[in-house]
Amino acid sequence: MGRRFRLLPYLLVAPTLLFVLAFTLFPLARVLVGSLFKHRLNVPRYQVPVFAGLGNFSSLFQDPEFLQVLANTGLYVLILIPLLLACSFLLALLLDGQLRGLAFFRLAVFHPTVLPMVSAATIWLFFFTPGYGLWNQALRLFGYSGPQNWTGNPSLALGALVLVAFWKNVGFLMLFFLAGLQTMDRQVIEAARLDGAGGLRLVLGMVLPLIRRQSLFVTTVAFIGAFQTVDHVFVLTQGGPSETSALLLYYLWQLRFERLDLGRANAVTVIMILALLAFTIANFRVSERHEK
Amino acid sequence: MKKLVALCALLTMGLALAVAAPQVEVSLAYPVAVDAPITAMLKAWTQDYMARNPGVSVTLVFSGGYPDVKTAVQTAIQGGAKAPTLAVMLATDVYDLVNAKYVDSLDDLVAQAPGGQAFVKDFLPAYMGNSSYNGKLWSLPFQRSAVVLYYNADLFSASGLKPPRSWDELGRDAAALTLDGGKTRWGIEIPTENPYWTFQPLAIGGGRNVYTDDVTVNFNDPRVVDAIQFYMDLSQKYRATPPGVQVAWGSSTQNFAAGKTAMLVHTTGSLAGILKTAKFKVGVMALPGKAPGSLASVTGGGNLYLTAGHSAEERKAAFAFAQFLLEPSRIAEFSRATGYIPNRASAQASEAFKAWLAGVPQAADAVAALASAQSELSTQNLNAVKTVFNKYLQSAFNGSMTPKEAMDAAQKEANLALADYR
Repeated sequence: MGRRFRLLPYLLVAPTLLFVLAFTLFPLARVLVGSLFKHRLNVPRYQVPVFAGLGNFSSLFQDPEFLQVLANTGLYVLILIPLLLACSFLLALLLDGQLRGLAFFRLAVFHPTVLPMVSAATIWLFFFTPGYGLWNQALRLFGYSGPQNWTGNPSLALGALVLVAFWKNVGFLMLFFLAGLQTMDRQVIEAARLDGAGGLRLVLGMVLPLIRRQSLFVTTVAFIGAFQTVDHVFVLTQGGPSETSALLLYYLWQLRFERLDLGRANAVTVIMILALLAFTIANFRVSERHEK
Repeated sequence: MKKLVALCALLTMGLALAVAAPQVEVSLAYPVAVDAPITAMLKAWTQDYMARNPGVSVTLVFSGGYPDVKTAVQTAIQGGAKAPTLAVMLATDVYDLVNAKYVDSLDDLVAQAPGGQAFVKDFLPAYMGNSSYNGKLWSLPFQRSAVVLYYNADLFSASGLKPPRSWDELGRDAAALTLDGGKTRWGIEIPTENPYWTFQPLAIGGGRNVYTDDVTVNFNDPRVVDAIQFYMDLSQKYRATPPGVQVAWGSSTQNFAAGKTAMLVHTTGSLAGILKTAKFKVGVMALPGKAPGSLASVTGGGNLYLTAGHSAEERKAAFAFAQFLLEPSRIAEFSRATGYIPNRASAQASEAFKAWLAGVPQAADAVAALASAQSELSTQNLNAVKTVFNKYLQSAFNGSMTPKEAMDAAQKEANLALADYR
């Protein structure tokens, strides 16, 4: 006797499945297929997609502009992520303690999170303004008269983006570490203390392993977020000067909406999804290995 | 009973009429990132138009800047929805917009409209340079500007200087007006964040515009390279402008109005704002060229496009609304509020504009600058070409490449971006 087919579970999953199909899997399939075609809306002979195999990918990897964008994005992520992880963890440790005015400090660190990125970047644009920008004014108190236009200087523009993204996100990530610290088994820590562990050793040997799950989550969220934020590039630098601050998602927007090059835009999307997927899987693997 | 029947009949007739004469919907997408009370003016005109034309309903759609309007139009069309009927987009975007079939030609509407030909002929030739492609008319000049040199006339007369007539004089004047190596005041500021446009008057003044036609750019022409060298000289030789990519578009007008720079290269679109905030006599002129006595400027700004995908009735109504917006009296009012140069001969001849000129002589100087203006960079695949040019201009400005190296590289990459159109 075969098992009776039960409809109810399928019905219950159906709405979610439908959404995932319509808004994730279908677009993904379209992007994958689209990346194999030369399709440029502003070139008459490529207005109808022409099959190009992996042509879009090979031409991208031969294009110095794309390679520069990749390098920019790599550098941006490599500076931003460790900085975010270390500082949000430190802040969580500080704000977990018995500080006077704890609520105020928590709010102060967390408040940039609730601002939209466009507003945050606009505030910072004022800080970075040449001449009377707050940032330059503050540095001048220390006798500094150097670079005036932060977003126009090729060695500072990417740093300016990192700074804004750091300020905007550190409080948000701190929150997860803080939640981890507060649900951590305190008895284990107390036992370690009694055994003579303290300071750095306690943090590295006990606290960090105990909140590994939060760390995994925070790392993944921070990494994906670093790839996904683009608003501050629009507001602060538009990728300039000389494309030194063009990030992958901004470049994708340029390809799709400015240069109307759909094939290449699809190819860049595929590359980005693969990079994020590879990182997330690797991150889980590493974390699970520790678990065993 | 008879009364009731009559009432019913009347109601039915009214209903039938309402059904028979539906409203024609027209919408206008407009980039609001202009420092002037334009939205209020446009809303008032729209109300006025609908009162005069009860069969037409006009909606205004305000977006941030030119790229936002363009993105809105293309996403609507590609998503199968209706784009705003009319859209103010960059005049220079014509090739991409036409190639991608985002806009419709205006030729049939001009032919049908009463006085259509005369209406089009009335626009200043300098501003019609970006309106035609493939022998068809695609857009009408709407808010058009030019790059000019603003100078602090009080400072000039206090220092016994006259407005510069050549690059040499410009450099020397700027050096003479610089105070404390720029800490108190620079001699001149030229915005360099998105530098191609404010650089163009230098190239034109050196004897060569940066492009010839939609598939030909002159980035590595020796005269263009020479113009970059002159920009470099302003900081390196004359010490009169911040070195490298320093001057931001937005804050530079405030620097000028606050006396922190004696001269500023900026758009005529900032005229009203500068005159309102500056507490000194402001002079306006085209930039001096390399040769003594020569002048140079470049056009800019947005045109009114009719987007693709609308019915004959909607297109006709949209064109009529465009004609209404571009009546000489409205153009004059618009110019007075913004500083944008009136784009029709009849608007420049209108009493309203003349009355304004009497009070604001600088506006006449801005109009005069147009005589030496050439067209803003406009090519096929424009955004790729612009990105290349900006990138290498900034590399030269920042000293990471020599002007010649930078422009040779720019020419090579721009030629690649244009290869598919040759």
